[in-house]
Amino acid sequence: MDISHTIAHHILDHDLGVTLGSFHLPITAHTLTMLGVSIVLFVVAVLLSVRGKSLIARLLNTLGEEYVAFMRDGIVVPAVGKEGIAFLPYFCTLFLFILFSNLAGLIPQMKTITSNISVTGGLALCSGGLIVYAGIKTHGLWGFIKSFVPGGTPWWLIPLMFPLEVISLIIRVCVLAIRLFANMLSGHMVLLSLLLIIFIIGQMSKMAGVGAAFPAMGLEIFMTFLELLVAFLQAYVFTLLTSIYVGLVVHSH
Amino acid sequence: MENLLNPDFGVMALTIVNFLLLVWLLHKFAWKGIIGALEKREKQIAQDKQAAAEARQEAQNIKEELDAKLKEISAEATAKMQEAVAAGNAQKEQILAESQRQAEHLLTQAKAQITAEKEKALQEVRKEIVSTALAAAVKIAQQQITEQTAAKAVDEVLQEVSKAGK
Repeated sequence: MDISHTIAHHILDHDLGVTLGSFHLPITAHTLTMLGVSIVLFVVAVLLSVRGKSLIARLLNTLGEEYVAFMRDGIVVPAVGKEGIAFLPYFCTLFLFILFSNLAGLIPQMKTITSNISVTGGLALCSGGLIVYAGIKTHGLWGFIKSFVPGGTPWWLIPLMFPLEVISLIIRVCVLAIRLFANMLSGHMVLLSLLLIIFIIGQMSKMAGVGAAFPAMGLEIFMTFLELLVAFLQAYVFTLLTSIYVGLVVHSH
Repeated sequence: MENLLNPDFGVMALTIVNFLLLVWLLHKFAWKGIIGALEKREKQIAQDKQAAAEARQEAQNIKEELDAKLKEISAEATAKMQEAVAAGNAQKEQILAESQRQAEHLLTQAKAQITAEKEKALQEVRKEIVSTALAAAVKIAQQQITEQTAAKAVDEVLQEVSKAGK
């Protein structure tokens, strides 16, 4: 049994090989899951916003308002300030999109798209774009470029400081992608490895395999709950760090 | 497994497009409404709080005003009561003085009347004595009475006079 191959098969993306003429379309298992997650998220968010007089509609409205209020007062305003309210729709979408993507992996036959570096890279690039946009919007293009060099820096240090600060910004964006990718990937790898313990031991002795199933399943359930926690935590961390980075460029002076 | 760290730029581009489209759609169809409702509710709460604070301030002002008025009324009532007591006392004194004056006047009048009556009575007695004495003298002279009868007659006249004096 090739464990590495089995794990890779469950975690890696599978290209469905869709082409448009000679152009290869990136239609994969992960992009299809992402589309499904986006549709579900759109429906949920619209349900939260639709005004109604029934008890369920009012409950959903209250839930939506509480969520937005939490994002605004708990994450965006403390990190960015009042200027961040303009970016509130981005942060509200970001948190729920990552959360739904993380949770999708816990549903059988679904994929954890956030364990794909391309997906987390794409999200990090969006956040990087927001950081740059917020910086230019607040200080103007020249002001944003100047903000890479801290005030009071001696002129001869500027050629060193400027590239360092630019690289620092790029690294921050990369770290956003890698942190989410690594956390979600490792969680799923652990879940798969725990399941595979049963089959590895079962190959040696069927009775031992049955015996190993109980502790392995116990650990599996524990890890699933841990993954549930990690799904919320990583969505929160990604959103919080993005808002902090936006706050850093908005209040750079 | 090495494919794990090889980014698929097609998937990355699709992720960016998908996510930005989702941000735009949710902003248009969901977050705008929710944020609007939230801001409206917060504005309403702020207005209610402001109105409650104003009403409280107004109530406080009215209370202070009423307290001041009550104090003023109380002071006015006390002053009026003192004034009434003073007026009552003055009237009492006046009535007493008037009564005393009237009483003294009546007493003086009564005394004067008594004196006048007494004088009048004395005058009448004197007239009576004179007439009786004249009558007695006439009787004596007419009857040529003896010394004893004359004395007797004088005694009788004197007794009559004393009776009349009483």
